[in-house]
Amino acid sequence: MKPILEVENLKMYYSTKLGYVKAVDGISFVLNEGESLGLVGESGCGKTTTSMAIMRLLAENAEILSGHIYFKGKDLLKLNNEEMNKVRWAGISMIFQAAMNSLNPVYKVGDQIIEAIITHEPNVTFEEARERVVNLYKLVGLDPKRIDNYPHEYSGGMKQRAIIAMSLSCNPDMIIADEPTTALDVIVQDMILKEMSRIQKKLNMSMIYISHDIAVIAEVAEKIGIMYAGKLVELSDSVTIFKRPAHPYTIGLMSSFPSVKGEKKELVTIPGEPPNLLNAPDSCRFAPRCPFATKECLEKEPPYEEIEPNHFIACFHPQNLRKQVNEYAKG
Amino acid sequence: MSNTTEEMTASSEVFESPFKIKLKLMWRAFKENWKIFSESKIGMLGFWIVIIFAVAGFIVYPILASTVWKSTSLSSMVSYNPVTGYDFTIASNPAPPSLTHLLGTDPLGRDILAQLLYSTPREFALGIIAALITVFLGTTIGTISAFYGGVVDTFFMRLADLTLLFPFIPFLIVISGMMTVNLFMLALILGVLSGFGGITIILRSQAMIVKVKPFIESAKVSGASNPYIIVNHIIPNIMPLSFLYMMFNVTGAIFSEAVLSFFGLLNIRMSWGLMIYTADTAGYIVGTNIGTYWWLWLPPGAAITLICGAFYFIGRGLDEVVNPRLRRR
Amino acid sequence: MIKYIGKRLAQILILLVIYVAVVFFLLHSMPGGIKAILATNPTLTPAARESILKAFGLNQSLPMQFVLYLKNIFTLNLGISYSFYPTPVWTIIAQRLPRTILLFTSATLISFFVGFASGKSLAWKRGKISEYVSTVIGVIAYTIFTPLLIFTLIWFFGSFLGIFPLNQFLNPDLWLHTNLDAQTIFLYLLLTISLVGLAMLVSFILAQKISHRVKTRKIIFYISTAIASALAIFWWAVSPVGIYAFDILWHMILPVISVTIVSYAGTMLVMRDSMLETIKEDFITTARAKGLPDKVVRDKHAARTAMLPVITNFVLSMGFVVSGGVITESLFSWPGMGMTLLNSTLAKDYPLASGALIFTGIFVLFAHLIVDIVYAFLDPRIRY
Ligand SMILES: Nc1ncnc2c1ncn2[C@@H]1O[C@H](COP(=O)(O)OP(=O)(O)OP(=O)(O)O)[C@@H](O)[C@H]1O
Ligand code: SF4
Ligand SMILES: [Mg+2]
Repeated sequence: MKPILEVENLKMYYSTKLGYVKAVDGISFVLNEGESLGLVGESGCGKTTTSMAIMRLLAENAEILSGHIYFKGKDLLKLNNEEMNKVRWAGISMIFQAAMNSLNPVYKVGDQIIEAIITHEPNVTFEEARERVVNLYKLVGLDPKRIDNYPHEYSGGMKQRAIIAMSLSCNPDMIIADEPTTALDVIVQDMILKEMSRIQKKLNMSMIYISHDIAVIAEVAEKIGIMYAGKLVELSDSVTIFKRPAHPYTIGLMSSFPSVKGEKKELVTIPGEPPNLLNAPDSCRFAPRCPFATKECLEKEPPYEEIEPNHFIACFHPQNLRKQVNEYAKG
Repeated sequence: MSNTTEEMTASSEVFESPFKIKLKLMWRAFKENWKIFSESKIGMLGFWIVIIFAVAGFIVYPILASTVWKSTSLSSMVSYNPVTGYDFTIASNPAPPSLTHLLGTDPLGRDILAQLLYSTPREFALGIIAALITVFLGTTIGTISAFYGGVVDTFFMRLADLTLLFPFIPFLIVISGMMTVNLFMLALILGVLSGFGGITIILRSQAMIVKVKPFIESAKVSGASNPYIIVNHIIPNIMPLSFLYMMFNVTGAIFSEAVLSFFGLLNIRMSWGLMIYTADTAGYIVGTNIGTYWWLWLPPGAAITLICGAFYFIGRGLDEVVNPRLRRR
Repeated sequence: MIKYIGKRLAQILILLVIYVAVVFFLLHSMPGGIKAILATNPTLTPAARESILKAFGLNQSLPMQFVLYLKNIFTLNLGISYSFYPTPVWTIIAQRLPRTILLFTSATLISFFVGFASGKSLAWKRGKISEYVSTVIGVIAYTIFTPLLIFTLIWFFGSFLGIFPLNQFLNPDLWLHTNLDAQTIFLYLLLTISLVGLAMLVSFILAQKISHRVKTRKIIFYISTAIASALAIFWWAVSPVGIYAFDILWHMILPVISVTIVSYAGTMLVMRDSMLETIKEDFITTARAKGLPDKVVRDKHAARTAMLPVITNFVLSMGFVVSGGVITESLFSWPGMGMTLLNSTLAKDYPLASGALIFTGIFVLFAHLIVDIVYAFLDPRIRY
């Protein structure tokens, strides 16, 4: 398997009047071709910021302090804006968190998709592009008659599908889906996610799903990365994450959601408040809420290490849930 | 916020009168808002311009008039009276700025600076009276429309639409040509006309937001009458916005007055607009005279611009206090 | 769309009737009443006075009078001017309305495009010195007392640089030796300008139909505009009356600049604020993510959407611009509606003054209607 996206020690802070908001603080991961990765974490832990950094669509006050983002071997952070524009959509496309407002209200939805196609493939005529949009509409389950409607004539679910169609329009190598279904009701949510997963496998694209809901991610992603307060705290394939979660935060996160397989587990929420990223200290950021915290955790940052093949974790005291449950059962 | 509540309980423990507490709270809120306002550069600029004009008109002018510019019985000189003055020592009028007349004299031999200062309090009075009337009407109509809805609402909103399209200045020109309009009447007309206009639309939408807040509901449940709720709950909550629009209305009123008196349509003794009118009708602002006799039109014109601009700036600055959306972080 | 326009048209007509009612009752409440206003002119012959009294039903009941007044307005029977006796008011207004329309339309269009373009680029490049400077200039232009602005302009261009004529609609020396009527030439000028405008509109629509690419569209539009303007200029240049037309245009420049400045600053400031809001919208992030070039994001996506509040604001500021127009016209002796209104008021020529007031109102209402229609074309959320 060839890696398509390699993020190396990415640090991106927002500078504000009160100091730095350490929204992405030293994140590294690798995504292979055709693979799907899920990024999970509480609200405000820096998921959107990470994806925006990959697209190089950062806010004015954002600063990239260090790191590399290699996409197909090229470091995106070293490209100028014109070169980056070629990567955008044709290489990496994105489904935004606020999908409801992602379409320009004054243009027809179809034209907005055609615009993307024609920009990246100047040889395609308008009619060919339109033909492609018709096919995309069929693919995502929209009525092609709706192409010439304006966004305000679409329902929320239809807009969501149109945006998925738009994200596929230039045959990208990779799609970042930032909470693609939060605004929808559960049934539509499930349908759209399954559809996206189907399309992704069919077209053999790479995919990053972002959500605060690990149960949603578990259904579609092969790999899962857990983020906490601007850091990637655990990363492995989804089976490992669910079978042998090692980071205390992941364990807490698991127990606060009912199991995907429907086993009745007691719901335990993680006590304490999510951290403030403003001028965050150089310690383990989970320490104030962590039942296993020691003095060491408050003094140093835990290193991000591979504790078993393809299982990365940033914690001084990795846990073995099974062992503990056994011990607990014994008394 | 939590600070304020603590303060309140602390003070009620030593049995302060509720009135005093209220005052204290208001002072606190004022200080907080002042802090936000003072961060807006443009707002502070406007504030200082207004202060300078106020000092000049309300303090400097009376002092000057009773000391330096006082007519002395010896020479029986009344050369600094803004309306009837005449300086016999000057050969020809209008005279350019000199040490005795810092901004020169007008075609009738009157001191420009004295006219400028003399008019200042009148401009303030006009602007503020007109704006108070506007805001009073706008707030009342806006809240009533929002609170009662239905026919009342539709009626006032359509009326506001019409008022917005109304060609104000042409209308005022014709009115003041047909009847004798003095400063107070003008303030009344301006205040009433704009009181039915755009301000009601804005205040109504604000009142709509307040109307659905839970505390209104609880006041209703506890049996408060509608007028009581309007006066005690809704109006205080849209007051900041009313105050903001008051500033813009001061600008509008002073501007209209200046235009009308510039056309010589008002029955007043002296105003900035009238100063330009006097110079214009005497033929000093025509053709190449314009550059030569600059002191006849530039000082009053600049004064009108500055004071209108200043109130507008204060409005922009207050906008940042009232609309947190605009606040810079 | 047609339904929408029809609805707006009906609303405007109702507003018009209300407006006329306001003016009517105002005249009525004047000292002496409407009778005194319309018919107590010393120069009026007894017969003429009788006919006016009859036409306006001034001896009948108040509601009847109002109905008659309304009817007279729609049949353009506004009485006879005192100061231009015995010219009917409508004749004077018909002569002067086109001048105001030309002044107002050209100034508005120029200020709209300039304000739109500068507000757009100011918001796009935040924090530069240019932003600070132009904001300050914009605010000054917005708050300056209109006569002061005009005096400064006259002083600078007319007196100091000496390049523009002062305070006249035309150059009397030039027109002395001809029996040409300035009004005729003026109307032909207006016709030419409207034709060029029409050609631009047609080519714009054609360009949209012919091609889907922005570049091709632009080329079609610019070329046809250039051809139409060149034709118009050529036609006037070879015609023997070209020099007179040029004289009128030459005298128009400063008034147009004045009204333009009056309405420019508002447009620019609103466009800037609106653009700053729009840039934060999610669909702008989408447009960037699609890899569109910076300019396309700015013009096609941000500016196009940010334009809508500017148009709404235009309606709100119309009163302001119209009053700026009155001041401009009277200071430049530009014989349009504003100057007519002012001079007739000063001369106590009440039939003409009230007629001018009513037609200024009608003019504003129709400008409003046009803006409404343009808005509906630009915002699909309203169109359907
Ligand atoms: N422009 C900005 N300036 C300052 N801080 C910002 C800015 N944008 C985001 N932040 C902060 O950065 C942190 C990370 O934000 P981000 O949007 O990446 O979170 P997220 O994980 O996507 O959350 P959610 O699940 O709510 O979408 C948050 O604490 C947020 O407050
Ligand atoms: S490093 Fe320490 S505090 Fe942080 S998660 Fe691991 S055990 Fe808990
Ligand atoms: Mg997010």
